[in-house]
Amino acid sequence: MDIEINGARILFSFSDVPLFGTIHITQTLLMSWIVMALVTGACIWLGHGLTVEGGTRRQALAELAVTKLMDFVHGNMGKNFDKYIPLVGAIFVTSIVSNLMGLFGMWSPTADLSTELAWALVVFVLITYYKLKSGGLKGYLRSFLDPIFLFAPLNVISEFATPVSMACRHFGNILSGTVIGGLIYAALAAASYALFGAVGSSLIVSGVLVVAGAALLLRARAANAPKWQKIVGILCLVVGGLALLTRLPVVGAFAASFPFLDVGLPAVTSLYFDWFSGCIQAFIFCTLTTIFIKQAAGEE
Amino acid sequence: MSAIYQSLVTIDPFTLVCTICNLFIQVYLFKRFLLDKVLAVLDARKAAAGQEITAAKAARAEAERVKTEYEQNMAQAKAQANEIVASAQKTATARSEQLLGEARLQAAQIKQKAENDVALEKKKAVNDLKNEIGGIAMQIATKVVEREIQETDHRALIDEFIQNVGDAS
Repeated sequence: MDIEINGARILFSFSDVPLFGTIHITQTLLMSWIVMALVTGACIWLGHGLTVEGGTRRQALAELAVTKLMDFVHGNMGKNFDKYIPLVGAIFVTSIVSNLMGLFGMWSPTADLSTELAWALVVFVLITYYKLKSGGLKGYLRSFLDPIFLFAPLNVISEFATPVSMACRHFGNILSGTVIGGLIYAALAAASYALFGAVGSSLIVSGVLVVAGAALLLRARAANAPKWQKIVGILCLVVGGLALLTRLPVVGAFAASFPFLDVGLPAVTSLYFDWFSGCIQAFIFCTLTTIFIKQAAGEE
Repeated sequence: MSAIYQSLVTIDPFTLVCTICNLFIQVYLFKRFLLDKVLAVLDARKAAAGQEITAAKAARAEAERVKTEYEQNMAQAKAQANEIVASAQKTATARSEQLLGEARLQAAQIKQKAENDVALEKKKAVNDLKNEIGGIAMQIATKVVEREIQETDHRALIDEFIQNVGDAS
């Protein structure tokens, strides 16, 4: 079976646009607008009708989120960078929601390097601004000659490596999640066709499986029957039953083309590749943003 | 129409620029609709708590002041009461003593008057007796002398006699 792993799908193209030449409206852009709408909607929902007395769960959630965000920024940057709380919060929320879009079978805007590079460039501009501000132009230029002038090329590379590594780390993790997710779906679909093709080709095999499974289940109803009997019984019954389903006259064709193994199992792997990886990458990106800006400002 | 895809790892300038703009818009929206509102509420709560504390402190100071005042007033009232009681006692004592004195004086006066009366009565009685005795003596003497004694002539003699009798008795 062939699987294709592609970049963002191009939805529309406009040629002869000034400055850009041909521009493409990709899935990335569409999804990032959807993410923005979702995030803004959530913000409006959380932020409306707050009272000093508090009381509602919604307000408690809103306050918890903002307090955690402030604690995060204060913990990493101290109290002098409060103006970056909105930036860090926006990047974090957008990143998480974008990463989790993959869970719903939609394209993650963060599976496109352009998205992360855009964020990383904003951070890079801020870092450079603070380096210039704290050391002056002279100090900034001199820092490239540290410790001796021979290191200048390395220092230049490392300067640009900051945004590149930030962008690539985030992109790579999300992309790998998408790729592995796609591979798992494809592999399970192939396994599913192979299994039910083999079992379903013989009425006897599937019939035996159903009967054996039912017998095991009946036995397992006894008081102190071992647990494996129940599990194996259910497995045999389900596999045999589904195999029989593919032989039915009307629904058989549909059942035969349905990758049954894709139901449920990928949820387990996506727990790591989508949920964990998605959340941790958003967290890492924000942590690096705060720490790099603080380092550039030269405050201890 | 078959779908057209971008390559897997690529940087699209238009997407890049749009994402940067999106990020700034998102930052603004996030700040405008959530952060500012929550911070406003948190600040208001903090201010309210501060106000509450200040008010509580003021109320406590006021209560302390009232209590001190009350205690002062109480002490004053007690002192005044003591004073009143003491002065009342003093007045009562003085009054009773005065009354006693008056009573004693009256009693003494009454006694004196009674004594005077008694003395007067006694004197009167003695005089009456003297007169009677004088008369009797005259009659006796008349009988004895057989003649009428000139009362006026012998009056001095009789009186002397009676005086002697009185003294002897």
